Amino acid sequence: MKITTYAQNLHDLGLIKDQGVTEVILGHKDFSRFGKLTDEQFQSIANRARDLGIQVIFEWDILMTQTVFQKCSEKIPALYSSFDILRVQDPGAYEWSLKHTHHPLQFIAENANHNLKALKGWAEHGQGRLSRLILSIELTRSTIEEYARELDVPCELLGFGPILLFYTPRSLLSPLLEDKTVYRSELLAIGESEESPHKGFPILENQHGTFMFHIKEFSLVDFARELKELGLAYFRVDLRFSGMSFFSPLIKVINQFEVSAFSEFKENYPQDLMRGFYLVNKTDVLFSKLKNHRLQNREGDYLGEVIEAEKSSHLAIMIKNPRGLKVGDKLKILHPKGSTFEITLQSVRNLELKEVESISAGRVALISYMNGVWVKSQVFLN
Amino acid sequence: MPYAFIPEVLAPAGSLDKLKVAVRYGASAVYVGGQKFGLRTAAENFTLDELAEGVSFAHAHGSQVYVVLNSFLHDKDLIELPEFVKFLEEIKVDAVIVSDLGVVKTVREFSSIAVHISTQASTLNIESARLWKKMGATRIVLGREVSIKEAGLIKREVGIEVELFIHGSMCMAYSGNCVISNFTQGRDSNRGGCAHSCRFEYSLDMGLETKEKKHAFFMSSKDLEGLRVLPEFIKEEIDSVKIEGRMKGPLYAGTMAKVYSEALNFYREHGDFLSDDLIRWEEELGKVSHREYTEASLVHPADESSIFNNRENHNENEWQMTGQVIEASAQAGIVLEVRNAFNQGDYLEVIPFKGSALKLRTDEMMDLMMKPVLRTKPTTLVRLPYISGISPGELVRQRMIST
Repeated sequence: MKITTYAQNLHDLGLIKDQGVTEVILGHKDFSRFGKLTDEQFQSIANRARDLGIQVIFEWDILMTQTVFQKCSEKIPALYSSFDILRVQDPGAYEWSLKHTHHPLQFIAENANHNLKALKGWAEHGQGRLSRLILSIELTRSTIEEYARELDVPCELLGFGPILLFYTPRSLLSPLLEDKTVYRSELLAIGESEESPHKGFPILENQHGTFMFHIKEFSLVDFARELKELGLAYFRVDLRFSGMSFFSPLIKVINQFEVSAFSEFKENYPQDLMRGFYLVNKTDVLFSKLKNHRLQNREGDYLGEVIEAEKSSHLAIMIKNPRGLKVGDKLKILHPKGSTFEITLQSVRNLELKEVESISAGRVALISYMNGVWVKSQVFLN
Repeated sequence: MPYAFIPEVLAPAGSLDKLKVAVRYGASAVYVGGQKFGLRTAAENFTLDELAEGVSFAHAHGSQVYVVLNSFLHDKDLIELPEFVKFLEEIKVDAVIVSDLGVVKTVREFSSIAVHISTQASTLNIESARLWKKMGATRIVLGREVSIKEAGLIKREVGIEVELFIHGSMCMAYSGNCVISNFTQGRDSNRGGCAHSCRFEYSLDMGLETKEKKHAFFMSSKDLEGLRVLPEFIKEEIDSVKIEGRMKGPLYAGTMAKVYSEALNFYREHGDFLSDDLIRWEEELGKVSHREYTEASLVHPADESSIFNNRENHNENEWQMTGQVIEASAQAGIVLEVRNAFNQGDYLEVIPFKGSALKLRTDEMMDLMMKPVLRTKPTTLVRLPYISGISPGELVRQRMIST
């Protein structure tokens, strides 16, 4: 398992080289969400990286409307010669790069793509040009193992760095500034809400929009050895916001993991760390509690719903089954709280209060009141 | 001279009842969710029987039904998908709305149902649409960041149907690119568990010299409203105008379907929107629960005026739904299923399936057993004297706040 990381200046390259890392991701300000490099800076760092024997990965991870896409696709050819590998996230950038470039491609599948079928699909679409898939940090250990085994393309995972929670192209912080001259190329804020259990979300606004991060950073450092055994090919370290001064100590911990060394590293690191869903992802378990399934139990011989329950007088049932309701029918009525009632219909009236033999779908049937039955009770043929 | 092209009006239908409301009020298509695979887990959604009934009902009225399968499905979620897809094909669903490549491939493998790419996939440009077309999509529901002009360009360049949101609540984030709920509340926002953290008020330390913290609903978007730019949708031949809101009530589904279909039908007949009805349609849009409206990015990229820097307040609606007509005949009178209480002597408005609202004063009210009623109660039925021109299924509303 190899380390991959970002460089934002020439000094970073030295640190990367010192740790034996053989590739670097560079963020150009017009293509990368958090990139700050101008053309000249990009070319200067890229050239230096190549001199050091480090492969240059060009990060093109912004999402683009056609207007922005057009500008990017016109500009990128001037930078072709400065990088070795192209790393894209917008499917449009992937499609365009397959047609208009000859570089090896890396596809960022961090967003969604939580199934093997999708990932295989992205790989197949690359027609042999895809050299890496960047996986979602919401995947569990066992899923990563399966994907690393089943996919023909090497996989990369964020191993250490900030967790991006939210990405919009809209500028959300600058409107809050009364003095707009304060704004330069980016704005930073720390946000908290009484309605959220967490405090201290880092928020960044730059030319590409506004980004919110988790209060903790993501770390699988203590699982690095395991990830290597699982077959993960690349472990990404992202220190763009904390600073590359942590790079060397972090790589040492990753390469020779010891609990005490990692504890010492964490004490010095400015952000708290979390492992996300690596061990278990239960983000769908609450769903079944979000609604009352008894109100939605409409399978089987569903007949309709009680829409009025007038004590000592009648129940009004909206008939929804095309079969309709007939005198003599045996009914089972399911109360929203779960209790059930049974009745055999001796008589039925329509809304004209006339006794009838049947009521068709879309009409209301009036039957005798039953103590305990409420509105929204569901009615079935028993 | 009638104009050949007008977009489809695609309305939300969170339940079978809402589907019927939307279709009766003019929606040319509705989108619905089954019990699984969609993004609105808390919505009532459709059982299999209801899906079949909904498709039959919609087709009988000349409308189409699209089923959302737009969760970002995990491997285990895909296991049950083939059987569901086969069922959807059997009942003749017109299309499925999908955001994940694995789901696209599964649908293509097990059926020949048309595949629409969900806005969750944030398809924003020509090349992205081209890629999805290669994957088998027949339509793209473009991201809300795409302008009408860009949408038209994508359609022409790629040769694929395009659908664009015209009305409703909006994610502030690129759709599918927000995982706040996942990491802060343990609920997968992209599998139906969104906790709407973007609607919260935040205290923001922006590092100002004054040490002042800003308090703002800075991540909350105003609601989209595109009535006035409908001519642009027509000019660019956008195939479908989509209304957000499967979680919203029947009054919303009915009003939206009615307003946008009436407006487009007017255009079909006259070739313009030079009608006094434009004011009426706008007033109608104001009579349903909504945040302040914005055209967001339909014409120009959304700017700070698109931010809804206010607390959510669902009790400030000027109008509320008072009920739905259950029966309307000379013999039975007008029977209303009451949703919100009203008094004898109140003025109500019946929203007809076509045309302007009818005013109705509730001078005489009786319960089903013909006893006089002075004030109705929710979840009861009330009988009013018969007036011709009112049909079962029509919605009734009442102004709650005098302006």
